[in-house]
Amino acid sequence: MNEFWEAKVALQWGTLKPSYDVVIIGGGGHGLATAYNLALRHGITNVAVLERSYIGGGNSGRNTTVIRSNYGKPEPVRFYQRSLELYRDLEAETERWMMHDERGLWWITHTEAGRRTEIARAEINRAFGADTRFAEPEEIEREIPGINMNPAGEFPVLGGSFHAGGATARHDRVVWALAEGAMRAGVDIIQGVEVTGLKVENNQIVGVETTQGSIATETVVSAVGGHATSVADMAGVRLPIRTHPLQAFVTNHYEGTFDAIVASIDLGFYVSQTARGEMLGGAHIDPQPSYSRRSDHHFISSIAKRITALFPFMGDLRVLRQWTGSCDMSPDYSPVMGRTPVDGFLITTGWGTWGFKAIPAGGEAMAELVATGTTPELIAPFSLDRFAKDRALADRGSSGTH
Amino acid sequence: MPELLHTLPVTRIVTTAAALDGASVPEDALVLRTAPDEALVIHAEAADPDAITIDDAHAIVVADAGWSGGWIPTAAADTFLDGNCSWARPIDRPAFAQGMVAHLPVKLWFEAERTLFVVPHVSAHELTHRLREGGIA
Amino acid sequence: MGGGARKVAPDPTSTNRCRTLGAVSDDTFDFAGRDITFAPGDSALLALTRHGIHPAGGGPLCFAGDCPNCLCTVDGISYVRACQTPAEVGVRIEPHPTNGEPPLPAWDTEAKTVAAIHRRADVVVIGGGESGQAARQQAADAGRIVELLDTNDGAEAIAVYPGPIVVARTADGMVNIECDDIVVATGAAEIQPIVPGSRLAGLWTPRAAAHVQAAGIDLGLTVAVGDVSDDAAATVVAPGELVRFEGEERLAAVITMVDGAEVRTEADNAIVGLGIHPRTGLARMANFMDVEVVGDAALEPTVPTCPSSGIACPCSNVTVEQLDDIYERGFTHMELLKRGTLAGTGTCQGSVCTPYLRSFLQDRGQELQPAFTFRPMAKQLTMNEIAAGSHLPALARTSLDSVHRDLGAQMDRMGGWWRPWTYGDTDAEYAAVRERVSLGDVSTLGKMILTGPDAEASLQRLFPTDVSTIKPGRSRYVLMLNERGYVMDDGMIAREHDGTFFLTFTSGGASMAEMWIRDWSASWGHDIRILNQTMSLGAINVTGPLAKELLERATDDDLPPFLGHCNITVAGVPCKVLRVSFTGELSFELHHPVDRSVELWTALMDLGADLGIQPHAIEALFRLRLEKGHIIVGIDTDYDSTPRRLQHEWAVNMKKGDFIGRTAIERTNRLALDKRLVGFRTEGRAPFEGAVVWSGSDYAGWVTSAAFSPTIGAGVALGWLEAVDGEFPASVTIDGLDAEIVSPHFYDPEGARPRA
Ligand SMILES: Cc1cc2nc3c(=O)[nH]c(=O)nc-3n(C[C@H](O)[C@H](O)[C@H](O)COP(=O)(O)OP(=O)(O)OC[C@H]3O[C@@H](n4cnc5c(N)ncnc54)[C@H](O)[C@@H]3O)c2cc1C
Repeated sequence: MNEFWEAKVALQWGTLKPSYDVVIIGGGGHGLATAYNLALRHGITNVAVLERSYIGGGNSGRNTTVIRSNYGKPEPVRFYQRSLELYRDLEAETERWMMHDERGLWWITHTEAGRRTEIARAEINRAFGADTRFAEPEEIEREIPGINMNPAGEFPVLGGSFHAGGATARHDRVVWALAEGAMRAGVDIIQGVEVTGLKVENNQIVGVETTQGSIATETVVSAVGGHATSVADMAGVRLPIRTHPLQAFVTNHYEGTFDAIVASIDLGFYVSQTARGEMLGGAHIDPQPSYSRRSDHHFISSIAKRITALFPFMGDLRVLRQWTGSCDMSPDYSPVMGRTPVDGFLITTGWGTWGFKAIPAGGEAMAELVATGTTPELIAPFSLDRFAKDRALADRGSSGTH
Repeated sequence: MPELLHTLPVTRIVTTAAALDGASVPEDALVLRTAPDEALVIHAEAADPDAITIDDAHAIVVADAGWSGGWIPTAAADTFLDGNCSWARPIDRPAFAQGMVAHLPVKLWFEAERTLFVVPHVSAHELTHRLREGGIA
Repeated sequence: MGGGARKVAPDPTSTNRCRTLGAVSDDTFDFAGRDITFAPGDSALLALTRHGIHPAGGGPLCFAGDCPNCLCTVDGISYVRACQTPAEVGVRIEPHPTNGEPPLPAWDTEAKTVAAIHRRADVVVIGGGESGQAARQQAADAGRIVELLDTNDGAEAIAVYPGPIVVARTADGMVNIECDDIVVATGAAEIQPIVPGSRLAGLWTPRAAAHVQAAGIDLGLTVAVGDVSDDAAATVVAPGELVRFEGEERLAAVITMVDGAEVRTEADNAIVGLGIHPRTGLARMANFMDVEVVGDAALEPTVPTCPSSGIACPCSNVTVEQLDDIYERGFTHMELLKRGTLAGTGTCQGSVCTPYLRSFLQDRGQELQPAFTFRPMAKQLTMNEIAAGSHLPALARTSLDSVHRDLGAQMDRMGGWWRPWTYGDTDAEYAAVRERVSLGDVSTLGKMILTGPDAEASLQRLFPTDVSTIKPGRSRYVLMLNERGYVMDDGMIAREHDGTFFLTFTSGGASMAEMWIRDWSASWGHDIRILNQTMSLGAINVTGPLAKELLERATDDDLPPFLGHCNITVAGVPCKVLRVSFTGELSFELHHPVDRSVELWTALMDLGADLGIQPHAIEALFRLRLEKGHIIVGIDTDYDSTPRRLQHEWAVNMKKGDFIGRTAIERTNRLALDKRLVGFRTEGRAPFEGAVVWSGSDYAGWVTSAAFSPTIGAGVALGWLEAVDGEFPASVTIDGLDAEIVSPHFYDPEGARPRA
């Protein structure tokens, strides 16, 4: 299948100017969505997006594309639900097909404690607008094809939650559509420019140093997934973030008949079939912090074992490729968005293993913050100063893998 | 089928590296030095902490029933390890090594004719299962 | 062999127009329902070629595993190359669908176990051609242990991973070779034509043509185009530059350009020599180390002319026109060109299209681009093959595991252990504890000996309690805090008469606690000795109003007072007895060597038979402790649970010196309290666990643990109560019930029963 033909995205690259109202570092989903919203919602177009490689070349082009809002605390449920809803309209708004497919997500559990957690998840989700319900094993066996209800006799399926809003979309297409929209509105998006320094005077951002010279600006948004700490450091801002590798894999293409997105909490993986027919899977972050993007053997052989335990039929699928991204992990497994102690230096980070789903709402909120100078209520709980204020938003169980 | 693994008569030592260097243990005991300052002493008969002298007033020297082990003839052990041990094993004999084997924390004592597999008691069931899966009767 | 299948005679009109079948035997395999005869040593593709069958209907064939033009489904596994599948009796081969994708395997397909072998070598040489053999010899001469992997010898290198580990597929299973050095001698792939007509049958690379001719197959009127070696025999040579192929389904003529004019050469088959492209995939995959690349793999690749039309990427079916179009739309970066069209992302891993993509971009004024990042795997494996040698995560089993299973317990995975969730009648188990006496398996508790000159100093800095006031023979409940002042674990510290300490932690918390103590002590330069006995000591909790009566039958020694401990013999088994209560009843924890657990359990059950003894499992335990308001770290606590939020400030002594978390607590204590763990009481029934706490229509927290308490005669729950607009609500509803906010100590709040 050739995916270009259905959507004629056209990208018009900008050229670097000596000054901008807003400089966004990082041409991933979050940087581009922020630019897109600044231009289209707020009419702010004297904006540059600086990407050191190519757009989507970071995690936004290498994730497993799960969109969901089945989190465990009110604030994230609300935020991700907003994003999930924005995703529903994004294709129509940009007039670009993103292979968005809302087919529902199963989180399977194999323990009694897991049952309680999923019952609780369904409850808090419904309370804050996300469509999730608890499912008993009988329903799971009926609805998920090919599932082994008691892998190895040691992982009985004891239930799970079904999140009807769970969806997937093609990551590159999201990136390109947002880039195209921003470019059309006049934003300069420039590839192959790396930010090497930030100029701060009297605690106010005044400029950006790049591999192609200096740029004057009073507003910088750092959206450099995987490198948040090093870029923040350029402004003298320390972030409570650690970068861990996260790996994933796809198989070859098969007829698209496996309609479920399934995660097993205790077996520690998730899998879905893409619109193009590949089986796409992932697991937890690597435990050691690292900037390495090397894929390893342990990951692939261990996830293959776990997946084929729950889905024996997948044992006959041939794996095409595995890869790795760098995830900026916050201590409480929630994103960090908004102001920093340096005026004019804003961040959107801590996207860890879960930031693809957040692209529309993250971009919307960051743009609103830049445009109005006021932090939108939806993201106020995610501000950097929550750590100093002891208002962490721990939601590890909801954020773990995807 | 005979049990593959049995509770080993072990004395566990935690001390300083220097004291462990100078420790004296019964002649017929097997000493697995699991860390510079830690050892598992496998006695010939029953665990006997009192038979061990060590020059460290603070040393922990206790009988420890928490280890299961079994001797496996070299050929069978090697075949199993070829399939289940991803790290390079020592070539000299005798030799001690430890690490993940069949995804379980295993300590190995290699002799010319046989290999001793040692696991925490809590993993003995699982290791037995995996040894049998690997063709060891 | 299928009864209705027929043997296929060579078909003179078939797609290859081959004239001779070659020497075949009577053995057959199945291709799309037809029996295919083959010669010994044939690949499935060669056998099909003998019968004039192109498995994909068309497209140039390379016979070298480089292109995607002979993909088939072999014994249910799709995306397998016929050229790399040995022709064997009974194999079932289906052609790869020409339109669409192969189906997923049947839902009820079972997983197959594939063996894995781990080996070690000094050097791994990948590729057994001339240069590979030379490299092997050279390393062997230097006294190094060498492994040579070659597809033709049945050892196909699949990937190189950090380690370095080279993974190969062999007939006996997967082989993982850990090594120091790697020599890549993978040779070069032949560049395939992509001009219009390249999807016709009857096109061969020079090596492929030589291969089939050597097998005795006559390709009929054969035209050579481009640079064709002498090994492949052609009838005629088409002059000039290749323009296109003509024909319907199969080749009829080759069109070339000579001095600006098209020349048409009639042909049954064409041998197309467009140069070579080194197979550098594995070398690029190993870019984290210095690999030696030798032989053809080290050659400069030919940069072929990219035609203005034709299918550049057969895997993803991408035409040059499409490349052109998307390039014009700004997808000028090589990666964007790839992602925008999916060229290079298919089964052949860019082997066919990469040379053309590079020349395409060069033609448009870009520097010659390096090939894409090459990610594992170079050749594909099934998930079963990949899983070879891997195991599912194993759980620890206590020394009483078989006892629980024999009692018919529902076992549950918890904190890394198998634990009995219920023996089948949780209400009865609960009643046994409250009214009589019961045994519980608490072997999973973290257990540690800590000693050494600085043991007490370490504990003082690790824990928020004043350890100096724990007297020998006494123990105390402690919280383990992190630097943020958040509770990571809880447990007991017991001081022995000889000055050593015995520590317990929650199930599953032992390794973390051990690491925590070791790391901090080391950073303080403290001289300590620590022994983690979690796996060495079993523990049985004897609990209930008759617990003392039972134990007095089992020992002549004195039992410890509340929060005391001692080392005594119970039922002949040496035990460390801690008198602590989690159930709210009189309780004794008997820690003992794991090899005596069953003996101790059985003896106590026998001695307690007339007292109505009955064991209790986790579900009952959770209820019992809930009535007491005892928290479970990880269930009732959250990431940011400070002692203040947990209402456990009594466990923190701010009058002592520094301890981990102290600074954070001082700071956060100055902030307004935003949430606290409280008790909820409901009439009639309990809310479900996880239920949201509502203050009117405002969110005010959630329930962490709940159960109906027959003893209290009400629903009891622990949960988080959050401030709404800065105030803690006074009345809340949960799960449709009015809930009273109460002290979490529902049962025996004065704590008389465990002290009895
Ligand atoms: C394997 C994997 C699977 C995942 N699965 C999911 C999932 O299923 N669902 C989900 O919601 N999330 C998932 N994620 C997480 C998600 O991909 C990320 O959170 C999200 O893409 C982050 O977007 P971003 O724009 O913040 O960062 P990125 O997309 O990483 O973009 C940051 C960009 O900044 C550029 N950059 C860095 N430094 C500089 C500099 N100094 N100057 C200029 N440019 C710079 C980088 O080149 C990069 O392009 C997954 C991640 C991985 C790795």
